[in-house]
Amino acid sequence: MNALTEALQISKPIKVVPRSRNLEALLLFFAAGLNAFELAQIQLSILERMTTDLFTYWLPPVLFAFLLHLILRRRASEADPLILPIALVLNGLGIAMIYRLDLATIASGGAELFAFRQVMWTALAMAIAAIVILYIPSQLFLRRYVYTAMAVGIVLLLLPLLPVIGTTINGATLWISLFGVTFQPGEIAKIALIIFFSGYLVDRKDSLAVVGRKILGIRIPRGRELGPILVIWLASIGVLVLQRDLGTSILYFGLFLVMIYVATGRAFYAGIGVAMLITGGLVASRLLDYVSRRFDAWLNPFEQANYDAVGGSYQIVQGIFGMANGGLFGSGLGGGVPQLVPLAESDFIISSLAEELGLIGFFAILALYFLLVSRGLKVAFRHSDEFAKLMAVGFSFVIALQLFVVIGGVTRILPLTGLTTPFLAAGGSSLLANWIIIAMLLRLSDSAVDRQTEVITR
Amino acid sequence: MSELALFLVRTGFLVLLWVFVFSIISVIRADLFGQKVVSRVAQANVPAVFSTPTSSSSDTTKQPELKATKLVVTEGEKAGTEIALSGRQLTIGRAGDSDLIVDDEYASTHHAKLVFINGDWLIQDLDSTNGTFLDGQKVGTPMTVSMNTQVRVGQTTFELRA
Repeated sequence: MNALTEALQISKPIKVVPRSRNLEALLLFFAAGLNAFELAQIQLSILERMTTDLFTYWLPPVLFAFLLHLILRRRASEADPLILPIALVLNGLGIAMIYRLDLATIASGGAELFAFRQVMWTALAMAIAAIVILYIPSQLFLRRYVYTAMAVGIVLLLLPLLPVIGTTINGATLWISLFGVTFQPGEIAKIALIIFFSGYLVDRKDSLAVVGRKILGIRIPRGRELGPILVIWLASIGVLVLQRDLGTSILYFGLFLVMIYVATGRAFYAGIGVAMLITGGLVASRLLDYVSRRFDAWLNPFEQANYDAVGGSYQIVQGIFGMANGGLFGSGLGGGVPQLVPLAESDFIISSLAEELGLIGFFAILALYFLLVSRGLKVAFRHSDEFAKLMAVGFSFVIALQLFVVIGGVTRILPLTGLTTPFLAAGGSSLLANWIIIAMLLRLSDSAVDRQTEVITR
Repeated sequence: MSELALFLVRTGFLVLLWVFVFSIISVIRADLFGQKVVSRVAQANVPAVFSTPTSSSSDTTKQPELKATKLVVTEGEKAGTEIALSGRQLTIGRAGDSDLIVDDEYASTHHAKLVFINGDWLIQDLDSTNGTFLDGQKVGTPMTVSMNTQVRVGQTTFELRA
C-alpha cells in the first residue's frame, strides 16, 4: 500500500532520457550494412570479386551519417530517430546503382562516370546538413529572414537565365556553370521558397481564410487575396516558357497550393489552383512545341514515329521494358541491363532500380519514401508553432510531390518531366537540397515534442 | 559466383530491405501504442502489480476501500499528467475553461464531464463529435467509472486512481 501511493506520487511527467538517439544509432548500423551489402553484391556479380573501391563508395556517407548522429545527440537529442537512417539507405541505394551503371559504362569502354562525383556531393551535402543543424537553433531564427528568403529564391530561380553562367542541358535552361561545375540553383530555391511561403501564410492565413463574399455557398476571397496565387502561377508559367521545364514549374505551383490549403483549410484554393494548373498545361501543350511532344510521347509511346523521334518516347519505352524485365523479384543488383535506358543514372534511376530489385524492391523503396514523408508530416502535426508547422508540411510535401512527378513520369501516369528523384538520382544540387531538407526536418522535430508541459490544470 | 549463391544473395537483399522497412514501422508502432507512462513508472518504481492497469472490476474488488483521488493521463500527448479530483465535477475538452484541456484534433470543445454522485464518479459525454469511451465502450447515458478503467477522449486516455 505504501509503495503504491509512493509510486503514484512520482508518476508526474518524467523526463525520460530519449531512447530515440540509441534507436537511431541502431538503425544507422542497419542502414550502413544494407549499403555495404548492395555494393558487395554489385561487385561480386559484375566484377566477380570484391575490390577496395567498395570503401570509396561506402564509407563517406556512412561516416557523415554517424557524424550527424553525434551532432544530434548533443544539439537536438529529441529529434526524430527515423529520418536520418531512411535518408542514408536511400542515398546509399542511389550511389550503389550509379556505381553499377558506371561499371557497365567501363565495360563498354565509356568514360562518363558519375559514382565518384555522387559520393563527393553526398559528403558535401551531409556536411552542409550538419552545419544547418549546428547553426540554425530553431525555426524562430528563420522567421526573421522570410522576405530575404523570397528574394534569394527568386534570384536563384532566375540565375540560369543569365547570359554567361546560364547553361542549357537537354533543352532545359535550369543550370549554371561555374569553373566547370554545373549546378541547378532551382533546387536550393525550393527551400528558400518554402521558408517564404510559410512566413507569408502564417501572417496572412486569417485574411485568406475568413474574408470574402459567399456566392452559391462557396466563400470567394477578395480579389487582392488572390494576388499572390496569380504571382506564383505566373512565375511557374515563366519557368515553363523561359526555362522550358515542365516538372519544376509543376513543383513550385503544387507546393504553393498545398501550403495555402494547409494554412487556410479552404478547398477553394486547391480547386482554383488545380483549374489554373490544368488550364496552363493545356494551353502550354498547344503553344509550346516541347510540351506537346512530351504529351504525345506520354499518350502514344509505342507509336513508331514517337519512338524514333529525337526526344521522343524511346526513353520511356526502354524504361518500361526494363521494369518488365525485372518482373516481381528483379534481376538482382548487377544482373540486369539498366544501362540501355538513356539517363539511367539520373532521370530514370527509379526504373533502373525497379529492374534490378523487381516490384518487391521497388515497393520497399516507395515505402521508405512514404515513411520519410509521414515522419515529416508528423513533425508538422505535433509542432506548436504555426510557422514551423507550415515549413514541415512544405519540406515533406516537396519530397512527396517530386516523387509523384518523377515516378508518375517513368511509369506513364503523367507526362515525363525532368525532376530528380530525391536522394537516388545522380546530381549534386538535388542531393544538397534534400540533405538540407533533412536537416531542417530534424531540427524542427527536436522542438516538436515539447508539448507535455502544456496541460493547464485548475 | 554460382547461380545458387547469386540467387541467395539477391533474395537476401530484398528480405533485408523489407526487414529495414518493417523495423522502422515497428518503431512507429511503438510510438503509437507502446511505451506508456504506466510502464515507465512501473519500471522505475514498482514491479508487475502496478504495470497492468487492466480491467477495473477485479482491481476494485481487491481494493474496495480505495477511493479515486486523482485522474492520471496514461496515453496521448500529455501522458503522465495527473489532476487531483477535488471538486464535484471535472470538465474535459478543448475549451480553455475545461479542467482538463485536451489539445487534440479529435476532441470536441466541451467533450465530456466527470461528475461525483453518491460516492461514484460518473462520466458524461457532452454530445461530442467523436464520442467518449469507457473501457472501449461508447458512453451513451452517464456511466460509472471504476478505478483504473481506461476512459478515452479523442486521442487521450486517462483513468482514475487512488
